[in-house]
Amino acid sequence: MDTLVNVAHGFGVALAPINLLYCFIGVFIGTLVGVLPGIGPISAMSLLLPVTLSGTPESGIIMMAGIYYGSMYGGSTTSILVNIPGEAASVVTCIDGHQMAKQGRAGPALGIAAFGSFIAGTFSLVALMLVAPKLASVAIVFGPAEYFSLMALGLVVLTFLTQGSMAKALLMACIGVVLGLIGLDSITAQPRLTFGRIELMDGIGLVPVVMGLFGVAEVLLNTEQAIKRDIINAKITRLLPNKEDWKASAGPVGRGTILGFFLGILPGGGAVVASFASYALEKRLSATPERFGHGAIEGVAGPEAANNAAAGGAFIPLMTLGIPPNVVMALLLGAFVVHGLQPGPLMITQNPGLFWGIVASMYIGNLMLLVLNLPMIGMWVQLLKLPYNILFPLIILFTIIGVYCSGNNVFDVYVMIAFGIIGYFMRKLGYEPAPLVLAFVLGPMLENNLRKSLILSQGDLGTFVTRPISAVCLALALVLLIGPLLPTLRRKRELVALDEGA
Amino acid sequence: MSGDSNVKVRLDNSELWSGLIGLGLGIFVIRSGLKLKLGTIHDPGPGFVLFYTGILICAFAATIMVAAITEGGPTFGSRWKDTRWAKPVIVIACLTGFAIALDPLGFLLAAIPLTLLLMRLIDPVRWSLAVPISILVPVGMWWLLKQALGIQLPSGMFGIG
Amino acid sequence: MFQRSSLMIAIAALAMFVPVCAGAQEYPIKPITLIIPWPAGGSTDLTMRAIAESASKVLGQPIAIDNKAGGSGTVGPATMAASAKPDGYTIAQLPMGVFRLPLMQEVPWDPSKDFTYIIHLSGYTFGVTTSAEGPFKTWQDVVDYAKANPGKVTYATPGVGTSPHVGMEQIAMLAGIKLTAVPFKGGAETNAAVLGQHTMLQADATGWRPLVDAGKLRLLMVWTASRSPNFPDAPTLKELGYPVVYDSPFGIAGPKGMDPKIVAKLHDAFKKALDDPAVVATLSKYDMVPNYKNSEDYKKFVVEVTESERKVIDALGLGKKN
Repeated sequence: MDTLVNVAHGFGVALAPINLLYCFIGVFIGTLVGVLPGIGPISAMSLLLPVTLSGTPESGIIMMAGIYYGSMYGGSTTSILVNIPGEAASVVTCIDGHQMAKQGRAGPALGIAAFGSFIAGTFSLVALMLVAPKLASVAIVFGPAEYFSLMALGLVVLTFLTQGSMAKALLMACIGVVLGLIGLDSITAQPRLTFGRIELMDGIGLVPVVMGLFGVAEVLLNTEQAIKRDIINAKITRLLPNKEDWKASAGPVGRGTILGFFLGILPGGGAVVASFASYALEKRLSATPERFGHGAIEGVAGPEAANNAAAGGAFIPLMTLGIPPNVVMALLLGAFVVHGLQPGPLMITQNPGLFWGIVASMYIGNLMLLVLNLPMIGMWVQLLKLPYNILFPLIILFTIIGVYCSGNNVFDVYVMIAFGIIGYFMRKLGYEPAPLVLAFVLGPMLENNLRKSLILSQGDLGTFVTRPISAVCLALALVLLIGPLLPTLRRKRELVALDEGA
Repeated sequence: MSGDSNVKVRLDNSELWSGLIGLGLGIFVIRSGLKLKLGTIHDPGPGFVLFYTGILICAFAATIMVAAITEGGPTFGSRWKDTRWAKPVIVIACLTGFAIALDPLGFLLAAIPLTLLLMRLIDPVRWSLAVPISILVPVGMWWLLKQALGIQLPSGMFGIG
Repeated sequence: MFQRSSLMIAIAALAMFVPVCAGAQEYPIKPITLIIPWPAGGSTDLTMRAIAESASKVLGQPIAIDNKAGGSGTVGPATMAASAKPDGYTIAQLPMGVFRLPLMQEVPWDPSKDFTYIIHLSGYTFGVTTSAEGPFKTWQDVVDYAKANPGKVTYATPGVGTSPHVGMEQIAMLAGIKLTAVPFKGGAETNAAVLGQHTMLQADATGWRPLVDAGKLRLLMVWTASRSPNFPDAPTLKELGYPVVYDSPFGIAGPKGMDPKIVAKLHDAFKKALDDPAVVATLSKYDMVPNYKNSEDYKKFVVEVTESERKVIDALGLGKKN
């Protein structure tokens, strides 16, 4: 009952005209920066922080939060249309989303991404209201050993992301880990693999790597095809998902939502792991896993739901413990602080109007986003009708601008071009970029937590199997790793046999 | 069997070479790890994870090479069969030129020729369309970023942009 | 078609010249990035955000916070020193680790050469906490347990060579016990580690305050000279029989070779911020005492503090081994 009174109170705050306006401005800006690759919510939020100071804390934070989840909606757009993920969490969306677009099904892909995001966003808010204080403990039961095992599980998950050979996927993952470790060591501040280049001290940025491996490499692959003038081979049939699409997507959206919500609570790469994990899960559960990678709608619905649910889950440690689980939440924390508020265990009781007002505003914001985004699908799909010889120079231009803006650094543009060339040869030789990107994100966390847990356990490797959560993660990883090994080998042999027969 | 597209121990087996590159990378990573100090199991040093990841890289690369020798693999020729391989090379050359020009000339002076070249060299767009697009889009983006978001793209030694 | 496009070119050309005129404006003409070498949510982050907010009003440009954590708070300043232009648009908070780590190991920066010191701001109040659900009620409990189980007591620090790490080692030496330090990246992470009882203790600056207030963490001691009015129940190191006081002073610096005019402008803005009532309130919430030094004094202070730290580090046996 208490909750209902609080929710009502929250809507009272959120529905105040000024707050509605701030909410709308927030989600609108969020959608914009989400669509532009490279320009993420972080730069928009830090630039707009001073603007929010003039109003009440509620208005300011409602707007900032709006930018965040708004950008989560927009992030999938470029992944689907031109195979450029706007952020790490939408890398998986590229795999099947862009294939759908190539088959003329960009509309349903964008549609299911929007609906899936809406459903997941709404669910995670309900969960946020009901169980936030209780779930706070989830964020802290994960110590270094648990993180290490979770990251290891995350890396194993990537073997499901590829159609090709497992050895190649694992090789890519290891290279991803190494690339992620470039720069100053997180514990001793010693430079690693920097070759004396000062630009590399800070490590390689995620955005240039992703834009190069996906965006630029995709363009290079397309230009060598003489026949294909347009991105779309087939005619655009529908703008929205049909009944069958919905049927196929219901399960993935549901599972993705739950997965995303719980992984989002964890500080670190929650949203990224969630989207990859959801994809792997759907591929595993699917009766026709071979469709994945060739435009399966489940491969868009699940991960998109997961990364939006994770955005909701991420609020829990911030609001209940004052521990921001990612950079965006950190910015939001900054917004609280400059308004003189301290998120922590006491915030919900001391400032109920603020907490419930923000949560209620997110319901409204999610609804606004759906209304805002659905009509835009038609417009995005029109974009694909541009002939490819006009479209691809523009794609290159946008990736360059996006990469530059992500770090205000010309060196990042060089990195992107280099990874574009590497990515082209990788793809030509049958190496896929997705495992590399996932490992690039998880690698530094994996390393840091491994070292911390070994210091904690004084060199006892048993710590990973005696701690229950860690043990479960590792066991799961082992099952996943060994389980498909035999069938893969068999299938591979069959394939080879087939080749030789032909 | 034709023997052209799937070969075992032959120098143009692409799998063999990609595995070899992986092996070289792995050895390099192992060496870097050793140089950075492994530390002890009680207190792993900066090279600890690099060293073991390097070993894994070598192991996977070796697996790929073994498979390439025992099961064979596609040749370089077959990977690039029926493609206009010169086109990606042109795009790469344009991008490299852009990368070199970006710092001294600034974004606008480097991006406008890049866009124009890409439009004309791959599948030529007619001049009357290519010229306005390659000028308007970079200038428009530059203006939008500067005015709306306060982001300054590189302006180069002439200070244009 | 031709006419239309040439018109567009003319407009574009015109648009290009507008900002050239605007370029003559005075510093700052664009947002300034302040690198905070700690994860968001710790005490440094929270107070620096308040200070930056106030300073940005004086400067008339937003100050964007970039949390670049790691390496005991040195990764941020070291990257800045190596790669940022000394144009005043990238500056960093400079914690003690920047001066201390070079004494302990090989590092890619030299504190006496690689920075332009702008202003010295404040210092921390450190404390040792433990989970309220844990077995330790007082510091004596910790000492007793550690004597019986050498090395088994783990404590979370914000990194190797940070003041909480070095301070804790010094206390352990005085108490005749052996503790195990676990390096995290900053306050937000050490909070989570001690809350989840992954480490038994946390030695860090006052970022733990909301959790101590909420009764989730128990404060065992503070490292200030006298008891803090915010936590009157926590004993000081002196009361516990260790004749030391630890406060780790910090300030702001930019890459080497900054224009003195820009340094002066930044200095004045941050000096004003230190007097802002909102900033004073935030600082006192985290038990930080303003400790102003101008650019010149800051530079001298760095030389002095490096010398005194060298003695402590050598006494603890943590110094660089050749």
